[in-house]
Amino acid sequence: MAALLTCLTTLALAAAAVAGTGPPPASPARPSGPTLAAEDTMYTEVPPVLVRAPRVTLDEILGRVARGERRRDSLMTDQSVLVTARLVRNADRKRPTELLTETILRVYKKKPDRVRTQVLRDYKARDEKKKRAGVGVKVRARGGMDEEVVNFAFRPEARRQYKYRILGRDLVGGHLIYRIAFEPRSLLDASVPRGVVWIDTNDFVIVHQELIFDRSPAAPFIKNVNRVVIERQNVDGYWVLKRVLLRAETTIPLPQVGKSFDFSLRFDDYAINRGLPDSLFAGPAEVK
Amino acid sequence: MKTRRFLAAALAAALAAAPRPAAAQAPAAPDTSLGGFLGAFSDSTDRYFGVSAAPVDTAGLDTVLFDSALRPPRRLQLGGAPTFDFSRVDGSTPGLSASLGVTPPEPGHTGWGKLRGGIARANGPRVTLGDVRYTNRLWLARQPFELDLWGGRKTAHLDRDDDDLLTLVGAFLSGSDWTQYYRNQGFEGSVTHRHGWWRASAGYRDVLQSPLRTTATWNLFGQDLETPWNLAATRGRAHELEYTAAARWPRLPLHTEIGYQTSSRRLGSDFEYRRVRAAAGLDLTLGRFASLVPQFSYGRLTGDLPPQASFYLGGSGSLRSLHRDQRGGSGLALAKLDLIGAQDLLALLHIPHPEALPLQGALFAATGAGWGRDPYTGTVVPGGDWPDRRGWVSEAGASLLYNTALFPTLHLSYAWPIGPGPHEGRWTVWFARPLDLLRSEPEE
Repeated sequence: MAALLTCLTTLALAAAAVAGTGPPPASPARPSGPTLAAEDTMYTEVPPVLVRAPRVTLDEILGRVARGERRRDSLMTDQSVLVTARLVRNADRKRPTELLTETILRVYKKKPDRVRTQVLRDYKARDEKKKRAGVGVKVRARGGMDEEVVNFAFRPEARRQYKYRILGRDLVGGHLIYRIAFEPRSLLDASVPRGVVWIDTNDFVIVHQELIFDRSPAAPFIKNVNRVVIERQNVDGYWVLKRVLLRAETTIPLPQVGKSFDFSLRFDDYAINRGLPDSLFAGPAEVK
Repeated sequence: MKTRRFLAAALAAALAAAPRPAAAQAPAAPDTSLGGFLGAFSDSTDRYFGVSAAPVDTAGLDTVLFDSALRPPRRLQLGGAPTFDFSRVDGSTPGLSASLGVTPPEPGHTGWGKLRGGIARANGPRVTLGDVRYTNRLWLARQPFELDLWGGRKTAHLDRDDDDLLTLVGAFLSGSDWTQYYRNQGFEGSVTHRHGWWRASAGYRDVLQSPLRTTATWNLFGQDLETPWNLAATRGRAHELEYTAAARWPRLPLHTEIGYQTSSRRLGSDFEYRRVRAAAGLDLTLGRFASLVPQFSYGRLTGDLPPQASFYLGGSGSLRSLHRDQRGGSGLALAKLDLIGAQDLLALLHIPHPEALPLQGALFAATGAGWGRDPYTGTVVPGGDWPDRRGWVSEAGASLLYNTALFPTLHLSYAWPIGPGPHEGRWTVWFARPLDLLRSEPEE
């Protein structure tokens, strides 16, 4: 600590000296003092500061992420969110994209696992050949707010299934963001992806994730999943899902969907810890 | 008394006036620089995904089209399908299967489970087969227990450690069926508990086991049967307890499993035997290019040695250069080594192929031996706890693997025997998981 203070004092003195010796500013409100020439510039050396604190190991970071994700989950008792699920065809093709389905749900959740879903929009593009509504997508909300889709590779029980490495660190304002890559230890299961997560070390929560499939996770129908992006947002101090987006190509054109499609989930209009009453989750016999 | 009440009131007032702890626990809001950092990601995502990532048009969202709270909590789910089976002991066996379930419960809750049943007519022996199976996940003390109950009459394989899905095809098309069969009639039940990296199960069965003989000598292409006979099981009622423990070891790519079955006259069984089988497998990754999968299994049977409790060697699940169940004994040792490429082999070789056909290449070697009492001949093959050196059979070969989401990995293999004896290679086609000497884990 003493060395650090010495260093900071030296730096401050050096900065003051340099400020005082610089060219005169154009401002007429220049503080009075001696005028020095460039040749009179003073130099100083900053003594090296030996940082004795050990670097946080990858194991420690992974442990903190597991605890951070658990804490994130523990802070929320109830949640209301507007969920939009979309299926879009021709996503990666030259032809114009087309919205095939859009389902909008108002989802209420309360711990431990209560959930209520209200469908507010259920749009299906018409199949012009058959003159009726086309492909449908069923979305079912599950209870809990642990967001496994984000932290599946960073749960304590998953540690033995993945290899991790630090890709880099970004200092963003007062946040140190770690970029950590993970990949499955086993190559035998093609449905397990590798990926990269961005972790905010203030809360040790995952704020962004991209998944990569090296092989098709669902042959023979899916040729490949080109990109999966999972985003989180901070709502009233709580990190929650923002978007899950996936682009995939099929080996054969699927009826009405074609050979390329996007599937996306969007989460808006959160209300967290507003004290949702138990009666909101009552079954039909109890609803008057 | 008044003083105590006053103190209590004062304490309550002080607590009410104190700052709320929730405020101290709430996480801090991010600063704008982090918002900008994540916003840059979002902009890039928006550009890539276009309309899929666009904001929601919230106009017209005032009406609720469907509300899960107004839905009955449980809904029946019915299913049914025709079935067909064929073997040289049952002949053609058309039937029907049906399932009855209710809406799955929320995680952590015990639901009503699933009931499946089937009925079929074995045209060879002119016998009706049928069974009912009930499965459910029970949550006891916040822990999941998989319940599996079965009752009925079915045709089973004498090799209880290997279940080949393609037996029917070879038998029906060309009479190529080396599987040995027997009849089971009665009840079986088991409970499995999985906890993180390990699982354990306990089971009981009370079944009348009876031998079967060949009743169907025909097949679609009119070929002669490769095995016109069927090894006779010992008739009797088996009351058997079974215990299994399996583990996927933390931080190690090691999978292990041990199973123990005991049948005793004290349990009312006609058989007195102890059967133990252990298996282990490693899943080693060689960069991103290949997996090395060594596996080992060892089994011993003591007491009465009925064919239906013996160990068998041969076939796609053990030694591919041997026909299925070609050898047997009251002891078994088997070691396999597979080197499985992770890349699309045809793409690596620049061979044009359909996108729906990514094939992986694999090389394998295996060695195994059976000893003790041979269920086919009744002779005793030398070996105590370990097979005689001359009893080992070895092989090597290559495979093409096709991974799909529909069924386990499809293997097309050619295996060459190694060592003394006939050196005729064999083609095999079968479905299997890579670590096939270990039983598959129950579904999540």
